[in-house]
Amino acid sequence: MLKIREVCKAFNNINVLKNISFDVEKSDILGCAGPSGCGKSTLLRCIQKLEIIDQGTIESNGRVCFMFQDFQLFPHMTVFQNLTYAPTLKNKNKKEDYQKQAVKILEDLGIESKANIYPGALSGGQKQRVALARSLMTNPDILLCDEPTSGLDVSTTMDVVSLLKSINEQFGVTMVIASHDLDFLTKISDRIILLKNGTITIDINAQEWNDPVNFLKAYY
Amino acid sequence: MNKIISNFLSIGSGVALTLKLTFGGVFIGLLLGVLLSVLRYSGIGRSVINRIISILRGTPLMLQLTFVYFMAPSIIGFRLSLLSAGILTFGVNSSAYIAEIVRAGIESLPKGQFEAAQALEIPRFYMWKDIILPQVIVNIFPAMINEVIALLKETALIATLGGMDIMRKSQTIAAEQYDYFMPLCIAGIYYYGLVLFIEFIGRKFESCKSYA
Repeated sequence: MLKIREVCKAFNNINVLKNISFDVEKSDILGCAGPSGCGKSTLLRCIQKLEIIDQGTIESNGRVCFMFQDFQLFPHMTVFQNLTYAPTLKNKNKKEDYQKQAVKILEDLGIESKANIYPGALSGGQKQRVALARSLMTNPDILLCDEPTSGLDVSTTMDVVSLLKSINEQFGVTMVIASHDLDFLTKISDRIILLKNGTITIDINAQEWNDPVNFLKAYY
Repeated sequence: MNKIISNFLSIGSGVALTLKLTFGGVFIGLLLGVLLSVLRYSGIGRSVINRIISILRGTPLMLQLTFVYFMAPSIIGFRLSLLSAGILTFGVNSSAYIAEIVRAGIESLPKGQFEAAQALEIPRFYMWKDIILPQVIVNIFPAMINEVIALLKETALIATLGGMDIMRKSQTIAAEQYDYFMPLCIAGIYYYGLVLFIEFIGRKFESCKSYA
């Protein structure tokens, strides 16, 4: 589904990503762990083409959508407008279909009552769901989530886990999730890669994460 | 008492010209200012636009107004009316200041708003029209109100070319009556009243457009 080969990216002569290579199979959830500044977000931004890579190749089969760390909802549009604006722009004839789809997704995510509210009046968890709903409106094959639980409490984090898992099972969306929260990643991912100083130091199944050797590698 | 009322009405007849110059200038200034700002932000003709803005801000408005009114016939072949020359000059001059205000407004938005639009594959034109500029306009509104107020007061320069605005009317009456105090006070009252009105409209708009 996603094939990344020897990707390099530097900012001001500082190598942020060094020869990164990995594959993600269809419907898999890949967790991308690592300390702050290790290149997780940059990797996701390169996959979404928000950054131009210096070297290597990124091949994706299908539509890629990006969920930003700080959601980046459009504050002057209601939740419903946030969801329907971009799809309707591409195909005005399907406006009613998109409206129905938006209602369905909002119901699925349990935020249908927030449809006519502006993002500024939503809590962090609700914004998270709206951002996810907006991404789902594009019918993505691959969803890139940048720190989806940053700033959320434990209970809301668990909600995000079950929400993303259900999206993955229901729509078969392949996911790449960047987070520094290893506990969250082990709960949600099929596979985890650990980035350190721009290189992948660990690439294992999530179940293997409890192995003390891997744990030590991650932290030291 | 009759004299005061008569002077009030006489000077008040200049309000129309003052308002035409102000709102005509703001209209042109806003269109041109936003255009210059968006082009510059997109990297199109950045150095040329910077130079134009620098010249417009770096030379006196009085000089620009006189230049447009008296030099137009030799450049474009016909004479501009005082109203057209005024609106054009005030508009173009104001566009330089508005372009800077809009630039600050664009730069105050999170970069992620541009990236979110890009990630959702929103075409560039619609990104500016529906995503970026509506947010920018709300953010810069207080600064824009300041610009409108400044422009309203600068329109008094049209009096130097003979335009019968509030200022010129008051000067004419002062010269006729050998009394500057009352006509100038009345002109001041008119200008201040208009400024209060613009501030009132601005506050109404701000309260309508604030989204929570």
